[in-house]
Amino acid sequence: MRKRPSLAGFIAVQVLVVVAAAVSLSLGTGQASVESRRFLTGNKLIQPVEVPRERGILIAPLYDEPSIVSDEELADVLKQILPRFPRKHLKPNHVEHALRTWHIDATFQNPEVLSGEEMKEFLVDHGKFLASWDQETLPLLMDRPDGVAVRWGSNAYSSVHHDHWLACLTEAGIPRDEPIFTPTRSMTIKDAIEEAVRDFQLDERETEWTTLSFALWFPETHRWQNGEGRVMSFDLLAERLMRGDKRFGVCVGTHRVYSLMALIRLDETYHLLSPEMHTQVYAYLENVRDLITACQFEDGRWPPDWQRGAAALTDPGEDEPYRSVIATGHHLEWLAIAPQELHPPREMIEKAADWIIRTTLEKTPDEILGHYTFYSHVGNALSLWRHTRAADFWRTWQADHPGFDSTPSNATAEGPAEGPAEARRPTDL
Amino acid sequence: MVAATTEQEQEQREDHDPEVADNGLPDSSVLTDKTPDWFKTTWHFPALVAALGFVFTILSYYPLWHTDLWGHLAYGRVIVELGGLPTTEPLLPLASGVPFADTAWLSQLLGYEAYQWEGLAALHFLFASSIVACLAMIVTRLYGRTGSVAFSLLAMMVMLLVGWKQLTIVRPQLAGLTCFVTLFMLLTARRWTRVMWVGVPIIFTMWANLHGSFVVGLMMLAAFTIGRAGDIFLRTGQVGCVLANIRVRRTFLLTELAFVATLVNPYGLGLYGEIWRISHHPNLQNLLDWDPLTIRMFQGQMATITALLLVFLYRASPRRVSLTEALLLVGFGLSALWNSRMIIWWTPLAAFLLAVHGHAVWSAWQRSRLRNNPPDEPLEQPEPAGKWSVVAIGLMWIFFSFTPFGTAIMHGRQPELSRSVSRQTPVAAAKYLNEHPPQGLVFNTYEWGDYLLFQGPPGIQLLIASHAHLIPKEVWNDYINIIGMRSEWQTLLDRYGANTIVIHKESNERMIKSLEQDANWQRAYEDDLASIFTRRKPIL
Repeated sequence: MRKRPSLAGFIAVQVLVVVAAAVSLSLGTGQASVESRRFLTGNKLIQPVEVPRERGILIAPLYDEPSIVSDEELADVLKQILPRFPRKHLKPNHVEHALRTWHIDATFQNPEVLSGEEMKEFLVDHGKFLASWDQETLPLLMDRPDGVAVRWGSNAYSSVHHDHWLACLTEAGIPRDEPIFTPTRSMTIKDAIEEAVRDFQLDERETEWTTLSFALWFPETHRWQNGEGRVMSFDLLAERLMRGDKRFGVCVGTHRVYSLMALIRLDETYHLLSPEMHTQVYAYLENVRDLITACQFEDGRWPPDWQRGAAALTDPGEDEPYRSVIATGHHLEWLAIAPQELHPPREMIEKAADWIIRTTLEKTPDEILGHYTFYSHVGNALSLWRHTRAADFWRTWQADHPGFDSTPSNATAEGPAEGPAEARRPTDL
Repeated sequence: MVAATTEQEQEQREDHDPEVADNGLPDSSVLTDKTPDWFKTTWHFPALVAALGFVFTILSYYPLWHTDLWGHLAYGRVIVELGGLPTTEPLLPLASGVPFADTAWLSQLLGYEAYQWEGLAALHFLFASSIVACLAMIVTRLYGRTGSVAFSLLAMMVMLLVGWKQLTIVRPQLAGLTCFVTLFMLLTARRWTRVMWVGVPIIFTMWANLHGSFVVGLMMLAAFTIGRAGDIFLRTGQVGCVLANIRVRRTFLLTELAFVATLVNPYGLGLYGEIWRISHHPNLQNLLDWDPLTIRMFQGQMATITALLLVFLYRASPRRVSLTEALLLVGFGLSALWNSRMIIWWTPLAAFLLAVHGHAVWSAWQRSRLRNNPPDEPLEQPEPAGKWSVVAIGLMWIFFSFTPFGTAIMHGRQPELSRSVSRQTPVAAAKYLNEHPPQGLVFNTYEWGDYLLFQGPPGIQLLIASHAHLIPKEVWNDYINIIGMRSEWQTLLDRYGANTIVIHKESNERMIKSLEQDANWQRAYEDDLASIFTRRKPIL
């Protein structure tokens, strides 16, 4: 006999379907379940990381070594790298580097020199950016549904590296709640951090500044997710920084070293790395130490192919001289925050500092401007070796030496070149 | 019981017993078959068993495919070691942190446990038995419908020919296929039984944990519901009749219950999202398996022939064609054109319907022939007898005992690894790697990643394996660039710090030549199948 399903049975099945789906949704694990729950409850699909501090951590320098750089030498070098940029077509990359070196509280007597505040505003206020560029230029700050991203690429009106903008502002001491004015709305640095967390891909080419920014803002967070749900950790970031041949990476591979050194320093307090990863990173830095110990030229500079160790000395490549400025300046910078065990012999550091000071002071303002980013690292490195910041030292120096001539060495009457042609040239890295 | 007899008694019986033949032996033709009726079958049964057993034996010796199987076993091992499911990709260092929804966890676990229990023999058995179970169900149902051994075997052949490419890749999809065919058999039963209300949800609960293909089962249930409803509507033109139809209601409710049953899995409702995410992952676009079906492929050629035969048979068939059939054939057929992997679901349906309508056409032709030329004597029908069942059971035992699994169970003898796996399996290369564990990342041929994960040295750091949807897109693109020797492929190897390269010789001749001339690399191992290069100065 054929039995028809009863109405009660039919309704019971409909109720069962709804209840089962609801229970399943609330209990299910996995990314899709979690995302579905957050979608239905109106929460963000990926939980933003907590940014627990008002300002990013500043990694303190460890040494005050007049034998490496004297007050006079430091003042002369800093004089060379004062941010005397043409206001028209101001390059974000230059401003970021200058701000990182001079900090947001930098002030200068010379009105031609950009103050920290002016530089910061150029970077975080689309109106100021427009005033330097024009309506036709693509904005530096880009609105995203949940935050703000920064345009990066090789053109002059962009930041050059992914998250370099964020890392530089962080190292410059910008507050978390600092307003950011995009073309359409007002946001904060915190929104930019959250957006950086969302759009970061572990396997993108440059991870140096993202790693540094995250470590300076939220070293207590051991696990978080990017916008695609990939679980990130500082172990993973450190592993990524160490991946592959050492010749790769920005500024002849030295930014990787700097970021790794920062992780080791922060790990002392925040334990952001696992013990195994700490050991691996430390061993990596020891290897870098050994390589640069083996490859310093007689005059004190380090070669750009320092990764080859002694082979870089015996079989030097044909490199442009400025690339040795990159290598030497950047190595001095990470060494300034590194424990002594990771240092090459003391005389090597002194020789390197002598060479870089000499070289910097020999340059004309045009030459400095042409490679400002590299020389800014020199200024920052030497300041760190005196356990100070460029702006603090400069302020004190000017107060103590009222007659000090802040005109850059080798300046011509015309001053540094400026104008659209110069500014629009693809920027150096 | 046979009583002992003396020669004298024997002679007396011969004198008086008419059932004794002239040669003195009992006349078997007068013996009575005392086996119970339920045990009696016709010769058709052992014939079908012989065919299925033959296929089972062949498949039991068919080499295990060199790709997916080993990766799934590796995940099964991870599940056992963790005592739970990993939430992020656990095997590939470059995919570390990538969310991992294991849609085939139960197959992986069962497969690994089976391997632990009876080694390679168990894998052969699982492979052969899942396919033969599907064939057996189709053959049983067809025989029940047609009573024809020939058409039942025809369906078996069609399924094997069209589905061969997909069937021979040992992966959890085979468990899904078994569920699919079981469901199809239940839905095509002549009578609805209460077992359906329990059986179908149980199948779906299993299926949702065995493989992500359970969604095609829901699609089949939906096709049965819609098809039935459509047929009634076309016949009556009244929606009320559709709603009142008992089969429509039943299949609708069954579809809902099946959906509820699928929610019993570790990811709950989110499993649907995971399956969507996996099947739409951009990395899959580079895989042949996910390409549209074309006539250049063997499976495409077989499917075309089958489709043409179906068109002819549907034109000639006296059977009523239901909308459900059309929905199933066209729906799954189109999905196979979209993605060749989907042909595995079309194949059993096409084989079944081809045989059903083929038999209908054949029967109609036979009837017409008999009408025109009536036979002198009525056609003989095969007699059921217990002996055929005994023969069938005997055949089953013989076929089983000849398989690697039977040998392993009875004699404790495992098949040799090199004979058990496909010729494309890098057995010797894996052995070399075990003896010389690689330092750092290994660049490997995509198809070998799974085998090296399972049989390579513990903790081997491979660049890639067959779970393409778990590989970050940058890594995936870089793999494509390196294996294709596009610009800067060597630089990419340096960027990843790959210190070892394990590649297929035949497919990568150019790369091998280039590496031979590269001062940074040296050949560490070579056999007929694989080349292994190591960096002279490893990147640390």
